[in-house]
Amino acid sequence: MKQKVGEGLLFFGFAGIASTLVLALLWAPSVSIDAFESPAAQRIFYWHVPAAWAAFIAFGALFVGSAGWLFKRSEVMWRLHTAGAEAGLATGLMTVWSGCVWGAAEWGTPWDWTDVRLNTFGLLTLLAIYLVLGRGSQPDGVETRDTFAAFGLYGFVLVPITYVATRIWSIRHPGPVVGTGDESSINGDMGLVLLLGAISFTVFIIGHIMNSMRVTSLEQRLERLQATMDKVI
Amino acid sequence: MAQPLLAVDGIEVRRGMHVVLNAFNLSLNSGEVLALTGENGAGKSTLLEACARLLPLEQGRILHAGVVVADHEGRRRPTPLVLGLALQKNGMMGSEFVVEHLETAMSMSGHSVDPRPFLRAFSLEHRANDLIAHLSQGQARKVAVLAALLPAFASKQPALILLDEPAAGMDERSVSVLCEWIAQLRISGHAVMICTHDQRLSDCATTHVDVSTSEATEVIPNEPSSQLDMNAQPVKAISPAAFGWKMQWRTLAWLNHNAVASLLTLGVLLSFGDLLDDLEDMQRYGFLLAPAFAAGLCGEAMVQASREERTNAWWRAVANANPHSGILPLALGCLLTLLSSLSFSVVVEPNIIIVGGLLTFVTWHIIRLLQEATNRLARPRAVFVGLLTPILILPYALLLDLLSQ
Repeated sequence: MKQKVGEGLLFFGFAGIASTLVLALLWAPSVSIDAFESPAAQRIFYWHVPAAWAAFIAFGALFVGSAGWLFKRSEVMWRLHTAGAEAGLATGLMTVWSGCVWGAAEWGTPWDWTDVRLNTFGLLTLLAIYLVLGRGSQPDGVETRDTFAAFGLYGFVLVPITYVATRIWSIRHPGPVVGTGDESSINGDMGLVLLLGAISFTVFIIGHIMNSMRVTSLEQRLERLQATMDKVI
Repeated sequence: MAQPLLAVDGIEVRRGMHVVLNAFNLSLNSGEVLALTGENGAGKSTLLEACARLLPLEQGRILHAGVVVADHEGRRRPTPLVLGLALQKNGMMGSEFVVEHLETAMSMSGHSVDPRPFLRAFSLEHRANDLIAHLSQGQARKVAVLAALLPAFASKQPALILLDEPAAGMDERSVSVLCEWIAQLRISGHAVMICTHDQRLSDCATTHVDVSTSEATEVIPNEPSSQLDMNAQPVKAISPAAFGWKMQWRTLAWLNHNAVASLLTLGVLLSFGDLLDDLEDMQRYGFLLAPAFAAGLCGEAMVQASREERTNAWWRAVANANPHSGILPLALGCLLTLLSSLSFSVVVEPNIIIVGGLLTFVTWHIIRLLQEATNRLARPRAVFVGLLTPILILPYALLLDLLSQ
């Protein structure tokens, strides 16, 4: 049942993301030409912002999983840690890549080493790569889990810094466009497509995490069966 | 009266996915020798390493002389005892000299004795000034065991000695000598814990503990044939930083690990030629400080080097820290920034030289901490710590921004 729910969410998430892309490219209104250097590239925003939102959910899962393993020694929490790292890697790369393309068109450079939000988000993605590759290189065990869970826990400090970065140090990256309390800078149709994107990416990331946890659970079961066979043979 | 030196209080220790020790209790007093027995995989080495505070505890606590030195909440305190330790791996680097390693080990007790009679008894006197890398496996094992025993011989207070398979690779005569020394240490009021499958060492013990069943059996040990008269002299303890500094200069690891990358960075920047004349302030400082930053980003060579024969574990147990280079990066950073200032033909600013030194120092030690965080992994070299080094680029950029203002 759980398997079907996870796969169903993944399917609906993909379908929603595809719809968002179609609407963003063909239907959503364009922005004021004066406000942007490259107005056409602005449509990347319908992919970039929901992907970043989904990445924060994934990094939240990574943090909860890391803390749950370190403090409760919970197998489910370890699975959540691995799923959070994998989902964070997927959505982090989506965000960084789309941001670089947009940045190259809008600012004339894909990256700015002095911009706090760009750098902290990039680091979160690098942390996810580190955790996914690192876990693959080590035998499963308490030493491996403790080490990577500690990195996951300490790495999470970057999430609030990334979130508030544009409010405190506005260098290149624009500030928040929704939820600021001010009059929103995006109109109704734009907001609708953005909302569809955010919901789709949320559904997608939940499905991704559920499936990833199931795969880890199956891997662990396989290892237990192999260990039992080692004793019998 | 016997003094309690070691207490193991209901510990649970995991290795990999297995619980190796569960609700395990043990005590060891001064003047006792405890032999841990049991089949391979029973948990003898795990127990010994937990007592040396090298393994995290899932449950329970470890006490040295009544002081909690490790517990299941991750607290880890320095031991109040003089600790002698010989792990299954020898815990010493090939670049150390034999006498030097023994003197380093003894310095942890605050006293030192002449190691030559001990080396002579182990047929190693002619090797006293050799590098450990030049010894045979059996000879290196003898040095590692001596490094565990000598702090106790030099100590004025009861010491705790932990020996993991000390007789592995030793000849018959050396094992007899070792048994005699263990008996002498027992008579002197020290406590010894030995993991062994060797009956001759078990015969030195006052208690046998089967780790798989937790059963303890009291036995009557062999008596020593003589008592050594030690003339211990007070000495200053050698710190992990002093050791790391010495090893860095002896092996020139900093040159290979840090300075080459830094000089290559400088070379690449110099190849820009005329472009350098039109730099903004922030870019100019970026170019000046880039070699110092590159040196720091390469991290600490001692982290890799001290993984040889688990030298890092030995240092962590006896001195509470891994070997590191101390202030070497500060000096190197200053030197590299001076060199880049001269290379770019700009006025040498003392404050920028100091900033370069501090930049290398801070960067180097942050990367060291990231490297050391992977020491517990089964395959620490297989993880990509380098992926996390960009964490320092933003602070570097902000530093340049600050300098240019």
